[in-house]
Amino acid sequence: MASSILVGTGLKKRYRMGEVDVYALKGVDFTLYKQELVVVLGESGSGKTTLVNLLGGMDQATEGELMFGETAIHQCDEDELTEYRRNQVGFIFQFYNLMPNLTARENISLGAQIASDPLDVQDLLEQVGLADRADHFPSQLSGGEQQRVAIARALAKNPRLLLADEPTGALDLPTGRHILALLRRFRDEYSKAVVLITHNTNISQLADRIIYLKDGRIEWVHENDSPIAPEEVNW
Amino acid sequence: MILWRKMMRDMWGNLGSYLACLVLVVIGMVAFLAFAIASNNMAVSKDILYREQNFAEGFAELVAMPEHYVERVRRMDGVAQATGRLVRDVQVYDAEGAASVYLRLVSLDLQEHGRLNDVLLLKGEPLAARELKGWLDQRFFHANDLELGETIRIIAGGRVRELVVGGVGTSPEFVYPMRTEAEIYTDPQRFGIAFVPAQAMWQLFTDYDRAFNSLVFSLEPGADFERVKERLELELERFGVLEIYPRVDQTSHFVLTEEIEVINTMATFFPVIILMVAGFIIYIVLRRLVEQQRGQIGILKAFGYGKRQIMFHYLSYSLALAAVGGALGGLIGMWLANPLTDMLYEFFHLPPVYTGFSASALATSILICVGVLGFAGYHGCKAVLRLTPVEAMQPPAPPVGRRNLLEKFPLLARMLTVQGKMALRNISRSRSRTAFVFFGLMISCAMVAFTWALATEAMPKFMFYQYEQVETHDAKITLDGPRRRHSIHRELQGLPDVSLAEPMAEVPVKLSHRWRRENVLLIGLLPQARLYNILDVDGRRVIPGDDGLLLSQRLADNLAVGIGDTVELESLYLRDIYDKVEVDVVAIVPQYMGMNAYMGIAGLEELLGQEAFATSFLVEFVGGPGPERERVTALRELYRESDLLAGVDSRLEQLDLMVEYWEEAGWIIVLYVAIGVVFSFAIIYISSLVVLSERQRELASMRVLGMSSGEVFSVITFEQWLIGVVAVVAGAPLGRVILGAFAQSWSTDMYTMPAEMSAQSLLAGVAITFAAIWASQRFALRKIRRLSMVAVLKARE
Ligand SMILES: Nc1ncnc2c1ncn2[C@@H]1O[C@H](COP(=O)(O)OP(=O)(O)OP(=O)(O)O)[C@@H](O)[C@H]1O
Ligand SMILES: [Mg+2]
Repeated sequence: MASSILVGTGLKKRYRMGEVDVYALKGVDFTLYKQELVVVLGESGSGKTTLVNLLGGMDQATEGELMFGETAIHQCDEDELTEYRRNQVGFIFQFYNLMPNLTARENISLGAQIASDPLDVQDLLEQVGLADRADHFPSQLSGGEQQRVAIARALAKNPRLLLADEPTGALDLPTGRHILALLRRFRDEYSKAVVLITHNTNISQLADRIIYLKDGRIEWVHENDSPIAPEEVNW
Repeated sequence: MILWRKMMRDMWGNLGSYLACLVLVVIGMVAFLAFAIASNNMAVSKDILYREQNFAEGFAELVAMPEHYVERVRRMDGVAQATGRLVRDVQVYDAEGAASVYLRLVSLDLQEHGRLNDVLLLKGEPLAARELKGWLDQRFFHANDLELGETIRIIAGGRVRELVVGGVGTSPEFVYPMRTEAEIYTDPQRFGIAFVPAQAMWQLFTDYDRAFNSLVFSLEPGADFERVKERLELELERFGVLEIYPRVDQTSHFVLTEEIEVINTMATFFPVIILMVAGFIIYIVLRRLVEQQRGQIGILKAFGYGKRQIMFHYLSYSLALAAVGGALGGLIGMWLANPLTDMLYEFFHLPPVYTGFSASALATSILICVGVLGFAGYHGCKAVLRLTPVEAMQPPAPPVGRRNLLEKFPLLARMLTVQGKMALRNISRSRSRTAFVFFGLMISCAMVAFTWALATEAMPKFMFYQYEQVETHDAKITLDGPRRRHSIHRELQGLPDVSLAEPMAEVPVKLSHRWRRENVLLIGLLPQARLYNILDVDGRRVIPGDDGLLLSQRLADNLAVGIGDTVELESLYLRDIYDKVEVDVVAIVPQYMGMNAYMGIAGLEELLGQEAFATSFLVEFVGGPGPERERVTALRELYRESDLLAGVDSRLEQLDLMVEYWEEAGWIIVLYVAIGVVFSFAIIYISSLVVLSERQRELASMRVLGMSSGEVFSVITFEQWLIGVVAVVAGAPLGRVILGAFAQSWSTDMYTMPAEMSAQSLLAGVAITFAAIWASQRFALRKIRRLSMVAVLKARE
């Protein structure tokens, strides 16, 4: 069995809404293995984003443990969490979230420049097929192009895991496929672990493992022995 | 670093606000450095002059004291050095006789070593003991285009003499020569100092053979002035000591110190105000920026940028401005400091001292800017610290604030247009911006109202009241001392040109009430005097009676007396000079220039135990002074050689001087009004820019809905007018308060600034502020016309 890089046990997240407490996660056990592509499925409001935020060190669990190798993420203070995000995690969001005032190249450099072992920016630009648009600002790029920049930016830090929250949510089918293919390729070439959130069941067929969240709990887990190629995804 | 590029582009995108901020910082720093350096230069130059020329620490005026007695004073306890002088004012004989020109002759003992108040000879030759040759003060010399070797004809001891100009010099005592303390402006063309050998002076003024009427002294280290003064008063009593005062009360020193003080105040006051505004702008701008870039902050956090790193990124917007502004302002300020110093030196004729480039001054200015803007910037973007990464990624929680105005007044809500409602909501939502606009407009309105009142009411009243309302004569004839008045009165009254002549007695007295004392001139007038009118606050005539004093308001305040109180009076004019008499206060009247007491002339004579006398006469000519004031000139001509007369002054001439001074000072008022206008303009313009970029999407959506840019803009203008109206309501009274404070701080024993503000000035403040609001809105409207709907709506936040 492959070695695990991230192990979460009994993860709970409580939000306080005025007088009432809302549990977004109600006790989730989750292990992420090296070079694995996991898809987190679930309806809207099931806790997908909350889970990924915990995994990426964006937020702290209310209860439960989260171990990154030897590091106890759940015990980290703010500076240590920042350190963790800086060196180990690459985020990709649904709405690309590029810095509007920085060019494509600069957005990618923004990721590279704080990491301890970054990848080459020009190289990444070529890999996502945007070498000729490197000096364009986000407003001059289409949605798909922007998301490619975002992926390159996440990758530039050379993190151990990539966390993508509905990266294709705002894109059409061919563009979406292109993005998924990129994620897969990077998983293979740079041996990253990828966690991909979606509520699109079709996309989940591309995963090694599928986790289905419902109402803050894991409803079921499915080991997928024959992941399909991104080109075969439909929606 | 990549984030620097982001910063540059962010700033470029909102250039207006940052540029306004930068300009303010630069102006603030220029003002700070230029004024600070100039005042420092002046102070250093002053100190050098004082030290090198042995400026005295004490001054005594007396009737007459024998020359040899100075030696005794020198040996007194506490006195380090003493110098005696004879000081006499003489009139310059002017062939055309158009204006009265006076010279103050100050004797110099050529033998004395370590002379106090020594003259720094700038050019010319040494003086010789018995020769009537003198050194002139620089101002007079230059103002009259004199040359060395030229002669000036003066009238001394009833005869015309020729004074040779032997040199030009400056003395610490007369850096700023003034003929009387009550003058606010001395025309260097008409009054100057001439330093003449004592021997020559004694030959001119035979009454003062080997005698002095002025004594200056310096103190031994650690000696107390008051103690020395007491001892001197005793010692000199028999020589008729008139007054002994310390250096701080010496006119020239007082004016010079005051001037340096004013420049110093300018060096702090202006920059503080300006930097505060700049700080406020950067605060508003950064706060908005951080709110707006919430998502971007989230990404930076998600990517592992620490909160301090992000904080520093936003802080660097203000720090960059501070550094650039501070450096630029510092350099320009230093560059302007010397021309400014030159202007001041030219005015005061101080020996020039300059400051070159100073790295520490530059560092100070940058440090101040970094401090102020850093502080403002920190508060503007400290929200970054509170924002957790997850929060940052989500849209901001809707403000759960107090109920806004609309909810409180549903009726009001129904009356308003959609734009009005939006405006009201904006006001209650962004409190700090509302406060910024409110205070800015309030202050500029107050400033305009204040300056307006100062320019159109207070200053004219102050300057012209005395010579238009109170004194209404055509000429004032000053006698060389108290003289029997009836015969002179008859003589003057008998002159063909003269329609009316009135005697006036000006008596130096010391008034005291409990422990308070004041040395003033008590003026005796005929009860029916028409050429010198004492008026009450409402402009009604007050008749100087024979059995009580009229006091000026300031004098009454200083003595802490009211109507009905009794004061003690001492005077060298009393028949028994050691006597003290009691007089009642019967009225208190306003007086803006000078500080006097008044009484009926007959009553005054009786009080002093003297026969009818006068020290001057006021005359009115048949048909006024005539063209070119020829009748005044004729009168001067008539009495030129009389040793009874010290001078003939024309009231209109005095008035002209005031007008001249007023015209020179006028630009300062214009400057203040301009600052007020620029202030309101900048505030409104910046607030428009901020609202524009804050609500871009909202405004663009409204345009998409089919509203014109004017209608869209009315959301912003409505908000501004609303705040503006409230601000001027608060600002106008504030202007009145400022005027009151200004008048109080400006007023001295010699001048009292009236602090009245009419509705007209208040209206001017309001009108000019509104005009500035209107004008700046026109500018902002141009920006909204250029707003591209497509670009705005496409860009995600
Ligand atoms: N900051 C918060 N405060 C209160 N409740 C929250 C907060 N963030 C999330 N929740 C709640 O937690 C639950 C899970 O939210 P989460 O964002 O993880 O859902 P999701 O599965 O990502 O949904 P979607 O598919 O719509 O993105 C929801 O019920 C949500 O309302
Ligand atoms: Mg989600």
